Amino acid sequence: MISVADLLVNDRIPGSYFATDAYVRSDLEMGLLENRQGDRLIALPETLIQAIYSGLDKETGQASRLVLFNCGRWWGKNFYARFCAEVTDYYGTPLSNMAMVEFMQALQQCWITHGWGKVDLDQSHQHRGFLVVKGWNSVFARLALKHEQPVCYLEAGILAAFFSQLTGKDLHCIQTTCESMGADCNRFVLGLAKRLEPAETMVTNLAHDAIMQALCGEN
Amino acid sequence: MHPQIESAFNEAENRYLHPEELGVITQYVESLPKRMQTYCTLRDKEMTIMQQVADQLVKTLPGETTEALERSIKNALLVMRYCAMGMLLNNEAFVKERLHTWMGQSMKAYHSETVDSALYELLTQALNQSLTPQQLSFFNPMLAAAQAEFLPQDQPLTAAALGW
Repeated sequence: MISVADLLVNDRIPGSYFATDAYVRSDLEMGLLENRQGDRLIALPETLIQAIYSGLDKETGQASRLVLFNCGRWWGKNFYARFCAEVTDYYGTPLSNMAMVEFMQALQQCWITHGWGKVDLDQSHQHRGFLVVKGWNSVFARLALKHEQPVCYLEAGILAAFFSQLTGKDLHCIQTTCESMGADCNRFVLGLAKRLEPAETMVTNLAHDAIMQALCGEN
Repeated sequence: MHPQIESAFNEAENRYLHPEELGVITQYVESLPKRMQTYCTLRDKEMTIMQQVADQLVKTLPGETTEALERSIKNALLVMRYCAMGMLLNNEAFVKERLHTWMGQSMKAYHSETVDSALYELLTQALNQSLTPQQLSFFNPMLAAAQAEFLPQDQPLTAAALGW
């Protein structure tokens, strides 16, 4: 016997918090974008993203990768705090108590609604201590200056900080495939910095699977 | 609000509305009291309808865990609430946008397709008993739009599907 009334908590059933039409609100007169909690959102024009890339490249050259990665880390740290607060508040349960399926759905929808493309987790190397995040239609990849190696340093930083906060471990993140180089998606490998270190030099000449094999010691 | 009505309101500074546009608004306004009444019926009978569905579901699928059944019932309660609001607004897009992707993904992740198929069949029967034909004519398009977002669609009847 199932009591339907007992399934409701405070007469509510949480849906998809980040559903685009519910999450993003705009005030045409004031020219403001807000999320459903009333926090301000900013829209980044493509021109600005391109200008950040080319400005950094001119000013800092190769160091722009590190600058973008560190900016991403800062962004990711704050993004995690906001994500946690909003999700906990809406679903009435701490992030640590959420089922993996629900957590991933929230993260994926959040990514889409913020206009960052699609993301998914590949957990096939989890037992070896690596997590792979796949991303599609990234604006940061599309607008970056083309190089002979992956260019999504900002996203790598965001993911490193986000998953470091989530797991309580200091994680590093390296991108192994990039849409800017014609790959089917962007792949980011997350793991402990020391164990990921060898991959830094591999990204220029090895494919994702070969890098994973090398990292996992499956040669 | 229905997208057609919303776009008609955007024409204010361009021109007066055409008779057919006013027709759409009139149709909606005239149907609004009945939509409200249907909404109230659904609100008041929410627990009765879903309890009836839940009781039958337990009998229909005795092998399923309570956890799996409860998860699907909870999702169905949410779907019903979205559909009721969609009906009030006369806006299928509202229902679709709120359920888009995540409900289907969740069902797939929990392998709840069997439970959900049985549940929505029982729900349709329960609604047929609780709502008048006119109320059903307002509500069913919303439920169909919702189901299209997450339930596997029937294969089209083609020679290949039949294995000819």
